[in-house]
Amino acid sequence: MRAFVSFVYLFLYAPIALVVLFSFNAGRSASEFTGFSLAWYGKAFSNTFLIQALQNSLIIAFTSALLAAVFGTMAALAMERMGARMRLVFDGLFAAAIVVPGVVIGIATLVALAAVFSVLNPALASLWPTATPPQFGLGYFSIIAAHGLFSMAVVSMIVRARIASLGRDIVEASNDLYATPFGTFRQIVLPQIMPSVLAGFLLAFTFSFDDFIIAFFVAGSKTTLPIYVFASIRRGVTPEINAVATTVLIASLFLIFAARFLMREKTMRTSGEG
Amino acid sequence: MSKLPEKPISAEALTAQFMRLKRGSVSRRHFLGVTGLGLATAVLGRTGSFSLEAHAQDLGSQMSLATWPNYHDPASFEAFTAKTGVAVEVNVFGSNEEMLAKLQAGGTGWDLFVPTNYTISTYAKLKLIDPLDLSKLPNYSAKTETARFTQEGVIDGQTYAVPKNWGTTGMAINTDKLKTPVTSWKDFFELAQTEADGRAMVHDYQLTTIGSALVSLGYKFNSVDPAELAKAEELLVKVKPHLFAINSDYQPAMRATDAWMTMCWTNDGAQLNRDMPEIAFVLGKDGGEIWSDFYAIPSSAANKAAGYALLDFLMTPENAVKEHIANGAPTTDSRVLALLPTEVTSNKIVYPDEAALTPLEFGAAVTLTDPARAEVMARFKAA
Amino acid sequence: MATRAGTRHRFVTAALAAPAALWMLVFLVLPFVAMLVFAFGRRAPEGGYLPGFTFEQFLNLPARAAAFGNTLMLAPAGALLCLLVAYPVAYYLAVKAAPRHRLVLVSLIVVPFWTSLLVRTYAWMYILGSRGLPNLLSTIGLPDLRMLNTPGAVLVGIVYGYLPLMIMPIYVSLEKLDRRLLDASADLGARPVSTFLGITLPLSLPGVMTGVALVTILLLGEYLIPQLLGGGKVFFIGNALVDLFLQSRNWPFGSAIAVTLVLVVVVVLTVAMRIAWRFAGTRRVDLV
Repeated sequence: MRAFVSFVYLFLYAPIALVVLFSFNAGRSASEFTGFSLAWYGKAFSNTFLIQALQNSLIIAFTSALLAAVFGTMAALAMERMGARMRLVFDGLFAAAIVVPGVVIGIATLVALAAVFSVLNPALASLWPTATPPQFGLGYFSIIAAHGLFSMAVVSMIVRARIASLGRDIVEASNDLYATPFGTFRQIVLPQIMPSVLAGFLLAFTFSFDDFIIAFFVAGSKTTLPIYVFASIRRGVTPEINAVATTVLIASLFLIFAARFLMREKTMRTSGEG
Repeated sequence: MSKLPEKPISAEALTAQFMRLKRGSVSRRHFLGVTGLGLATAVLGRTGSFSLEAHAQDLGSQMSLATWPNYHDPASFEAFTAKTGVAVEVNVFGSNEEMLAKLQAGGTGWDLFVPTNYTISTYAKLKLIDPLDLSKLPNYSAKTETARFTQEGVIDGQTYAVPKNWGTTGMAINTDKLKTPVTSWKDFFELAQTEADGRAMVHDYQLTTIGSALVSLGYKFNSVDPAELAKAEELLVKVKPHLFAINSDYQPAMRATDAWMTMCWTNDGAQLNRDMPEIAFVLGKDGGEIWSDFYAIPSSAANKAAGYALLDFLMTPENAVKEHIANGAPTTDSRVLALLPTEVTSNKIVYPDEAALTPLEFGAAVTLTDPARAEVMARFKAA
Repeated sequence: MATRAGTRHRFVTAALAAPAALWMLVFLVLPFVAMLVFAFGRRAPEGGYLPGFTFEQFLNLPARAAAFGNTLMLAPAGALLCLLVAYPVAYYLAVKAAPRHRLVLVSLIVVPFWTSLLVRTYAWMYILGSRGLPNLLSTIGLPDLRMLNTPGAVLVGIVYGYLPLMIMPIYVSLEKLDRRLLDASADLGARPVSTFLGITLPLSLPGVMTGVALVTILLLGEYLIPQLLGGGKVFFIGNALVDLFLQSRNWPFGSAIAVTLVLVVVVVLTVAMRIAWRFAGTRRVDLV
């Protein structure tokens, strides 16, 4: 069994090792190693289009994850307070947002926005005082909207699971001690659900950052990192892509370990106090 | 001194002239002469501190080009960026349908793209492209172009697109791997199921894939006849399990010898043969496609100024020559032809004998929009 | 007082729920309705959409039967293959691995997610291409193996991409397993195999069901892996959809297929939950 498990880890990491290895390739090809060099890191970070794609991806992932974390948590709290029938509606919507394939979300968003724009843009043009009215189009907004769906649903599910595991007695105790509802929320509930909100945020960020298929339909003229990578697979991958992928991997590993370290510090401090 | 106007130009007149220059209705030389800026430029230009040539802020800092795989010399764009400060993003596509779909869905961000001859009338009809302002393309020379390859860029006397190069759709064969000679599309589809089983590629592109299948069955390349299309579909579906891939970017697979035989455009054929002499390029003696690709500017382009600037740069014979040497496609411009080295002009892949071209057909506009051809291709891929 | 508090309570609830509700309405419900409307329209002559009311698109669905068939076969097959690989790993992590190594080993399962799936799948294009594994195998005497652009290559890509998603739920359910049960079983003289079949496997079934359902459903909409590793020959519904929108420009037919795909997902999910209720005894399958 050990051998099998080792083999699976090899299977998981061999392609990643290959990606990292070729990022140090001296040659032009991402498939033939001709010597060690850091040149592609320099090329990657002076390539405006690649950097722009990376920036777009970061902006979109951060915004959609942030909105999802806030609105998703709010919805989770609301669901605790609403009637059973409304809750069922929300449950259904969130389940749909998670289960409907990304390719369908992309298509539905594209189709709906195309329909809306085909009415809105001429209307705006006829009302606009100058000859060059602003045009609504696909872009940041449509990608964030479509990514936010899945993300919000995921956040609210994670947070609801956490709320369900919370004891109600502590909230009641707080209320009995004449804390305001908001005070109770801020001092009692929020700290308890914060880890799951953060987990939801991270999941949402990762999902958005890695998504190709939804953005492929609704990105308009914006290029996200996955769209850039897909386009460069078609025009011939250079180790630039490997360099960026390696940088992203290392950055995220660093962030995970930093987060874990900070959390450990915190738990050690709290347990020290208690 | 004679170029100086009699009296100093007024502010209004200067502004008016400048706007005309910007709109492109007067040339830069005219503007400079009228306004008296010419002398100032001539003096200052030498010190290098003032140059109208750069226009840097007008052109922006970047633009986007939609084109075909392996279709340009990357050095061309580097030179353009060095000259103008505008970085060029290159996106490649596998079919005209894909480009059209992107433009129809809106928001491509392209400032210049490379449609094929038979698609231009549709783009113009759908108002996805506007007529070109030829005054912004001083280096384009309609006189020296070959009418056969340029006519479809002109609609109702207006130029919507100018030619990049022409070419043919033939077959590339790795003769080290495949011993049976291939001379026709009939041979191609037979070999794909036998000696080249699992090693042949067709384009992800209805025009050439369906067209060549039609030709191999003895029909016209551009047929939209339902019965003939049904026969072509039958053949393609029968061949499909034997194919290596359905992909318009076949160079990587041919170079890696993953694939041994593919449908192939002239330029790819020339590039493959240059680097791997065992790869031969063959035109079907039963027919096939002859085409010319054009440059056009989408009406939705955000940075048309840069689109024009890059187009004019690429139309300059000295730059076009480098493009043609790297890309391997035959030129439509006699100025460029005169500058090309003989090893290029005598290359039979690039400039085949007229007799070999006789059976070939230009793509017809109807194939781009015909729903049956689109659906046959989609069914073939989904089969 | 009581009514005022009640109004206030309802107001706060509504305010909390409003942003998400609005978002779901505008970006999920409306698009779905639009797609449904499009599905009954016609293709414009140059491609795109023309309003209309026709069942033509739905009647044309058999033209994509092969893509639906491929998807409905390869998605569960991929999920089951994933399960076969994932189960021993999850079992090892939860039961066999030394506790001090467990955290690192489990983290290592998740880390691949931090490199773009696209880039990793591209790496597989190299590994399965003739300069990769086939070349390596030919040095030990296996001639001329073709791996890239086959259903097998797509399955490898699927197992690779979705393995972590299968391992995690199984690991979580196995981790909850009380190890004293296993000891007790062994003490009572049960052979390891019967301990596994009698205790471990049934207790891990909720995780298994969650993993299989999750991976199957995600695979039903897969596009990238067949696109990159199938060479345009192994076609999923996702590929057919991209083709209809970004190549043949038949928006109404594409919408009809997308609507059908959602129905397929709902059916598969319902069946999965039925099976889960029957075998695992749990009341629901957690998808997240």
